Amino acid sequence: MHIRTITQALAIGGLLLGATALTTPAFAQDVKTITGGFDVGPGGFPKNFNPLAATGGFTWLNTYFEPLVIYNAELSAIEGDLATDYTVSDDMLTYTFNLAEETWHDGEAFTSADVKFTLDLIRNAASGSVFTGRLGKIANVEAPDDRTVVVTLSEADGGLLSVLAQVMILPEHALASIAPESIATSTWWSTTPIGTGPFKFTKYVTDQYVELAADEDYRRGAPKVDRLINRYFENPAAAVAALRAGEIQFTYVEPEDAATFAGNEAFTVIEGDSYVVNYIGFNQKVDLWKDVRVRQAFMYAIDRAAIVESLYGGAAKLANCGYVAPHLVPEGLNDYAYDPEKAKALLDEAGWADINGDKPITWLTYYGSPQAANVMAAVQAMLAQVGVNVVPRVVDVPTYNGTVYQENNPDWNEFPLIYAGLQNGPNPAGINVGLNKSQLPPAGANIMRIEFDDLSAAFDAAIGETDASQVDARWQDVCKVMNEDLPWATMWVANRYGVASANLVDFVWTPAPAGGPFAAHPELWDIK
Amino acid sequence: MSDAATATIERTKGPTRRSIERFFGNRAALVGLAIFVPILVAIVTYDWWWGLGPNAIDLRALNKGPSPEHWMGSDGVGRDVMARLLQGGRVSLIVAVVSVAISIVIGFLVGAFASFGGRVVDASLMRLVDLAMTLPPVIFLLVLASIAGTGIMPTILVISLLSWPTLSRMVRARLLELRERDFVVAARGMGASVPHLLFKHGLPNCIDILVVYATLQVANAILLEAGLSFLGLGIAPPEASWGNMLNLARSTVVLEQYPWQWMFPGAALVLTVLAINFIGDGLRDAFDPRSALN
Amino acid sequence: MLTYIARRIGIGLLMLIALSVLVFVLLRLAPGDAIDAYINPAAPLSMDELAALRARLGLDQPLPVQYFGWLRAAISGDFGFSTQRAGVSVLPLVLERIGPTVLLMGTGMLLAIVLGIAAGIISAVRRNSVTDVALSVTSSIGISSPAFLTALLGLYFFSVQLRWAPSGGMLTPGAPFSVADLLSHLILPAFLLSIGHAALIMRYMRSSLLEVLNQDYVRTARAKGVREFWVIIKHATRNALLPVVTLIGSTIGIAVGGAIFLESVFNWPGMGLLLVNAVNTRDYPVIMCATLIVGACVIAVNLLTDITYAAVDPRIQVA
Repeated sequence: MHIRTITQALAIGGLLLGATALTTPAFAQDVKTITGGFDVGPGGFPKNFNPLAATGGFTWLNTYFEPLVIYNAELSAIEGDLATDYTVSDDMLTYTFNLAEETWHDGEAFTSADVKFTLDLIRNAASGSVFTGRLGKIANVEAPDDRTVVVTLSEADGGLLSVLAQVMILPEHALASIAPESIATSTWWSTTPIGTGPFKFTKYVTDQYVELAADEDYRRGAPKVDRLINRYFENPAAAVAALRAGEIQFTYVEPEDAATFAGNEAFTVIEGDSYVVNYIGFNQKVDLWKDVRVRQAFMYAIDRAAIVESLYGGAAKLANCGYVAPHLVPEGLNDYAYDPEKAKALLDEAGWADINGDKPITWLTYYGSPQAANVMAAVQAMLAQVGVNVVPRVVDVPTYNGTVYQENNPDWNEFPLIYAGLQNGPNPAGINVGLNKSQLPPAGANIMRIEFDDLSAAFDAAIGETDASQVDARWQDVCKVMNEDLPWATMWVANRYGVASANLVDFVWTPAPAGGPFAAHPELWDIK
Repeated sequence: MSDAATATIERTKGPTRRSIERFFGNRAALVGLAIFVPILVAIVTYDWWWGLGPNAIDLRALNKGPSPEHWMGSDGVGRDVMARLLQGGRVSLIVAVVSVAISIVIGFLVGAFASFGGRVVDASLMRLVDLAMTLPPVIFLLVLASIAGTGIMPTILVISLLSWPTLSRMVRARLLELRERDFVVAARGMGASVPHLLFKHGLPNCIDILVVYATLQVANAILLEAGLSFLGLGIAPPEASWGNMLNLARSTVVLEQYPWQWMFPGAALVLTVLAINFIGDGLRDAFDPRSALN
Repeated sequence: MLTYIARRIGIGLLMLIALSVLVFVLLRLAPGDAIDAYINPAAPLSMDELAALRARLGLDQPLPVQYFGWLRAAISGDFGFSTQRAGVSVLPLVLERIGPTVLLMGTGMLLAIVLGIAAGIISAVRRNSVTDVALSVTSSIGISSPAFLTALLGLYFFSVQLRWAPSGGMLTPGAPFSVADLLSHLILPAFLLSIGHAALIMRYMRSSLLEVLNQDYVRTARAKGVREFWVIIKHATRNALLPVVTLIGSTIGIAVGGAIFLESVFNWPGMGLLLVNAVNTRDYPVIMCATLIVGACVIAVNLLTDITYAAVDPRIQVA
């Protein structure tokens, strides 16, 4: 009996093997499809379908949902999307949006009522939206007619438009019947969502891929491809394998992988600013870092130029304050050029031997990539040269957040020093949340508990500035104070990469923080 | 074995000596020893004869292939792969040996208490073992590892907590049989304490199970450490371990262009595990005369 | 017999409850929760906002309240929503992963059995020949290699370089379902999965066959002039298979938990991958539900085995 089973199994196995070797997956080629790993990498947020709860993944969400306003593809300015144009009152308290003519994917007309519904939903804390706090300055939303929306603020907020650029407008007629408390767990998002974007949601195969179809009556013209597929990958390496195997046409890649595609005619490498400034954070609740000379010593001890040159292949900009964008960086900053002798002298002056000496200091990070491990190993070795003994400790994101966000009596010695990044653009106010004393927990995310009065004043002045011509100068002041006070040892802003198949035509992607969104115009994308 | 004369000679030699002889008559086990001993010596003594440290970086020599200076090349931040391989071996072996030692202590004590401690103790301990074995290893591993975090001590903890239940079942089975034998019954009758029973009678009678289990489990623990590090849960860089060195192969660039960074640690790991498995099999055959027939 | 089964089922249910308590407590000991996993450290939210999000998930309640709330819902079949995926309920999510995992593990085991038994027979028959040594060395290396390394190398050579098989996933995205498509995705991970098991089965098969070949009835068969091939196939293999079958049986219960390394390297949508992700993102409802289902499978398989033994072998007393 055993023998018969085994023989049968053998035969079946052989047949299966033969069958697979002969049949290659064949499917209709006349359907133009672009498949990509659109949620791979730090800007992606795979498996999330609810734009109200999204902390990333906007590149993809923006292919079927649209915001009122959106960054251009260079991330240099905000332009209209569902709002064809908008005006801001002189006191920056009233924003008036004129809406485009568009229909939802189910044929219903898009109107100002949908905008009002979406903004009011977000402002209701029960919706579980991550935007509730950031839209907290909105006092009122009015819809005087079908094509006009007026948003009134309680106080000026220079960052409002950049927040609205991430707020996807939702259909009132489809969602009004769901209670705000149940919105976040509604199955609508991943089964039958409708938006206004160039593509319509068709199906989601759980944890595998999402498929969209062209919306033929899109206001900017019917999309050139019939289908858009977003495939999920566990890590960038798996996506790179699929890209090289020709299964997908686009994905984010790690910097070192990008180098291997350079010069390969079958692929286009897309390079861009990450808009994330990397820094070494000094926990101000720990006594080690009270003396500015110790913080300066960190800057002089680390050969940032050499690290950027060798470990980033030159693809990172040195940051001497929180910013690297030319219009935000004033003349005459201290560039803290590599000078280990000066670092030692500063540590001696500060009495480092008494403060800590060579006792190990935990250096916490959530960066788990091999590149980050190499960078940290290099910094560790450089700091050891001047007599500072840091010990990197890599943890996953939940552990990191759970550690630095502890509510009651945090143990400061679990994170005396961190290696982290914070978004410094396109909206320069991005780093305010981690540096201003008004953002001390629980009100904000100033996790290093930095309470520098001059720095906080500089941030408040920049954010409250209502004169558009003075805004850049205010941010330059922030930069100058950061450069002098060194709340962080600022390191660099690295570049990020995507690789697209050379078969793609008019494909637009940029490594925007949180995936943008930006005006990528997916309706123009085509494939050869 | 029916020959009376042979039996007499065998008996005079004593069981331990016979086992040792059988072990040294086993070719595979000898090959295992021949591979393992040099690796062990190299790992333990490398700071005396290898000039480069495992954490010494060199930004001018990134990703260089094998050369007279770096026999096994250098890694992404210019560290010597050979020094890291040897240091990584030290970490991997320490993790493996210590975690197995801990799991043996737990496994033996649980198994022994279950068999000598009376019905209630036995039943409750065995339900505990059942529970630990019902919990899928994947979940147990992942959850434990995320609680404990990364590093040497947490990894030891995770691996040791994962592997004791099987052993305690084996020990219990052996000792239940023993419990009914005359000398144990006599000892119990004379009011011997549980510790006395455990260590005077239990331990010597389980020693073969423990030794064989320990050896084979060390090999498993090395693989487990590598797997944990691969999932980002074991030993985190900059500390070297074979697992996290192999993890570099995840990147296509390293896999394809810098093969020395993963091939050498991979070879070291496979050879070590292979050698320990050979030794373990040899020990099992040596302790179990029946299996020597093969 | 019926009382025995009823009692075993009762114990099984108690074990499941104990399991859920254990996992629940273990999970809460891990640093960081679902909300912490949600926040991109480069674009952080304030603690107040996090507290509001926690309250919505009920994570601000005392632990016993959370546990009994979960238990009450779970008993009525409601395992809640995945915290990582908005609007996806847990039970179908977990159940839908059993199929792919069983498919992968089943195919892998089948391949392993075929390869392992064949290699074991050859090895035993050609004992001490070059073939035997080569097979033994190969199988030893197979047992001694970390699964993730074989998976990575296999993926690189067969998918990226040779393009014989897709680089991951279970079906080609967007393509209509076809068995050929499924098989082309299945064959590589299943083969790589089978290596370790095949090596183990081969060793068992070899030693058990060697033992059998020395038995009297095999000698008798040979002496009667039965051809060597038939001696081995008909008389020896049959009897040598018993320990091998036991070995295979012992791995089936565990198999439902998935092959964590292969699934994560090949993006195979099985239980293992689901769990790795769930643990990484502290998706408590998914972990709880998956643990219970896998635990229930293990308990059920154990129970079935015991009942089968008891039914087949009259010497085993059930009480």
